[in-house]
Amino acid sequence: MRVGKKYKVCLIIVSSVALVQVACKKFDAAYSNPDSEWLSGGAQTVYDQNSSSFSHVFPVLPENLERVHEIGDVQFEATFVSAPARTNPGRGPIFNNVSCASCHIADGRGKVAGIGDTSVLMLFRVSMLGENPHGGPNPVPGFGDQLQNRSNLGVAKEADVNITYNDQTFYFDDASSYKLRFPTYTVTNTYTSFPSNAMLSPRVAAPVFGLGLLEAVSDADILTRADENDADGDGISGKPNYVWNAVKGEATLGRFGWKANQPSLLQQVAAAYNGDIGITTSVFPLESSFGQPQYDNLNDDPELTDSLLYAVEFYVKTLAVPVRRNLNDEIVKQGKQLFIQSGCASCHAPDLKTAVNVSFPAISNQLIHPYTDLLLHDMGNDLADNRPDFKATGNEWRTAPLWGIGLTQKVNGHNNFLHDGRARSLLEAVMWHGGEADAARTKVKAMSATERNALVKFLESL
Amino acid sequence: MKKTNVLIASMLFAMAPVIITACHKSDDSSNVDVAQLKKDIISDAVNTVIVPSYSDLSSKAAQLLTAVQTLNTTTTDENLAACQALWKSMRQTWEQSEAWLIGPVEADAIDPRIDTWPVDFNELEGILSNSDVLNEAYVNGLEESLKGFHPIEYLLWGQDGAKTAAQFTGRQKQFLLALTQNVNTLCADVKASWAGGYAVKFSTAGASDNTDYPTSKSAYEALVDGMAGICDEVANAKMKDPFDAQDPLQEESPFAKNSITDFTNNIQGILAMYQGKFTSDGKGVEDLVRNYNLSLDNEIKTKHAAAVASLQAITVPFGEAIISQQTQVVNAMAKINELADALNTKLKPFVQQYGV
Repeated sequence: MRVGKKYKVCLIIVSSVALVQVACKKFDAAYSNPDSEWLSGGAQTVYDQNSSSFSHVFPVLPENLERVHEIGDVQFEATFVSAPARTNPGRGPIFNNVSCASCHIADGRGKVAGIGDTSVLMLFRVSMLGENPHGGPNPVPGFGDQLQNRSNLGVAKEADVNITYNDQTFYFDDASSYKLRFPTYTVTNTYTSFPSNAMLSPRVAAPVFGLGLLEAVSDADILTRADENDADGDGISGKPNYVWNAVKGEATLGRFGWKANQPSLLQQVAAAYNGDIGITTSVFPLESSFGQPQYDNLNDDPELTDSLLYAVEFYVKTLAVPVRRNLNDEIVKQGKQLFIQSGCASCHAPDLKTAVNVSFPAISNQLIHPYTDLLLHDMGNDLADNRPDFKATGNEWRTAPLWGIGLTQKVNGHNNFLHDGRARSLLEAVMWHGGEADAARTKVKAMSATERNALVKFLESL
Repeated sequence: MKKTNVLIASMLFAMAPVIITACHKSDDSSNVDVAQLKKDIISDAVNTVIVPSYSDLSSKAAQLLTAVQTLNTTTTDENLAACQALWKSMRQTWEQSEAWLIGPVEADAIDPRIDTWPVDFNELEGILSNSDVLNEAYVNGLEESLKGFHPIEYLLWGQDGAKTAAQFTGRQKQFLLALTQNVNTLCADVKASWAGGYAVKFSTAGASDNTDYPTSKSAYEALVDGMAGICDEVANAKMKDPFDAQDPLQEESPFAKNSITDFTNNIQGILAMYQGKFTSDGKGVEDLVRNYNLSLDNEIKTKHAAAVASLQAITVPFGEAIISQQTQVVNAMAKINELADALNTKLKPFVQQYGV
């Protein structure tokens, strides 16, 4: 989503308007604190709560770098077509979508297809039992590690996936009911036979703002929270994923993706170009269809130049985080206490600090409030995809950042949460948590309607 | 670092007078019922601008479909010219409506299905030479780069913009018909999604159960963001990308040589929304601005007129202008950015202060 170059100035003025409202009231110590929790992204927080609130460049960034961000922005939106072509060639032969922005609409969260629709803003990772030579998922013969449900003209797509839901009713301790929809995924329309024992993992397009700040947290800081074998006996593990780093040629700490299976933004972006759009890069120069009948046999790789690849990496690296809302609301304050008391904050860590980085001051030494520990946790059998991804087991998922989550409805027009969008509200998402989060969920289940409302209001303020 | 300090300092200076004003009580001297006006502006944005624009788009799409059906049975240059005229007429409405890309057009991904650039020429030629049955359902299943305005444009004008009726193949006519049917359905969908719910959602901004627009201010912000957003899109993408690349093939409506008209209509849409005036004249943000700040109203209108004039000063099709009229192109991008600045840095804070 393009946001005006000079918009930054506007945001500063907006920020002063926000301050004006405070200025007329009593002095508010919390707001005057540069490390205030209002500022989810530290200095790189933007004052917007509307449909473009995920789409702003860092407010503190030199103008020359802002231009790089803009070039990346245009490229993020660019629609790719089949090769050869003058503009944006190289899509496919098999793919899931045609541009970054067509899944990450407004830099936000993918919507789940309605019943009977073929999935568009989510995709399915697949693998067989075992590991590839780098310790990652073992590809399915003829399908690789991802199902591409679209293809260039005259080329066979790999498959479709049908989604059906089965609603089940549950009860809070106060006897009021809630429903959770249990999804079933069925692989259909396969171009060749699909092994019945292949493992399937649905993944919704995740929001892409604030990622540069998450990348700037040091490995050491993330690892201080790790407690793989629960040595402290609090029921919460926190396990680092170690994944293949294609640039370094070794396993490094994973931190992006639903299972923390990508070590860096560059690799995340390059992998998405490759797997999702069928665009090769210097990081992944081999077509996703290589070795399959769909392969294009064209000697045009890499299809995207490094300058554009790095511009897109820089674009997502420098998308700012929206400011909190309604933080002084008494209900929101109560909700925050409930969030902490219930143990949610054990994994959804409110505070992280980015490392000192003298070469890129924009992301250096910022106190941020992403509400994640970037580690893997067992989320129970109901949420499991039963498909290991490097060190992540079939039950483990990375703690999803919660910053900006309250703006999902505004930005993306839906409230579908979790890795496959099965939750239809924030409260449903909470109630899906199992495994290590079972104790926390049990506490929420025991809450009064007023308390549950406060918890949701707090989440909406994020 | 220095720049940051300057920014913060200037922010503090900028705040000082605002604080003084903000702490005064409101002293509206006019007789205007401002509370009612604020409601009327939001509801007129919907009922005199947005909904009529999609009604107009949808009815023009239906007319184009009829004209294409006529062209298919009676393939004459006259009937081709009628289709071309209707395409341009439809394009006029659509480009204006890009100043309010709010709600279902974006959320239901209708925009990319109506108006994606570039066209996938390999596949378009592939379809014209294969033996697939061409109908609306077939087009519906195609990629976005194979449907909507631009493949239709390509079929109506041809690569060099000089197509004659005699050049049409049977297969081109079949594909043109299917494409037009698809666009007609999509336009009807946008119209229906606004009329069937989103209009109410937007015009009841601030109602307690309205999650999309919990405050009146948020609706005002969405309107101004839409206006400023299209400036940015025109100046910094639609014009700047082909200009920087010096590549006429990156131009958006190259076959009909319609790009300058497209850009002008994009910018005209801003004024339509600002004034609350599409086919009929309602209350617009203009009326609120004029109540408090005549000079801001004057600035927006002056800069808007300058932006339109700067586009009109380009006298050759855009693909040629990026080579032969670079001064005019650079000036137009600058004037549009100046309008964007006024919208972003003045009108937006204005509606944040008064649109509540």
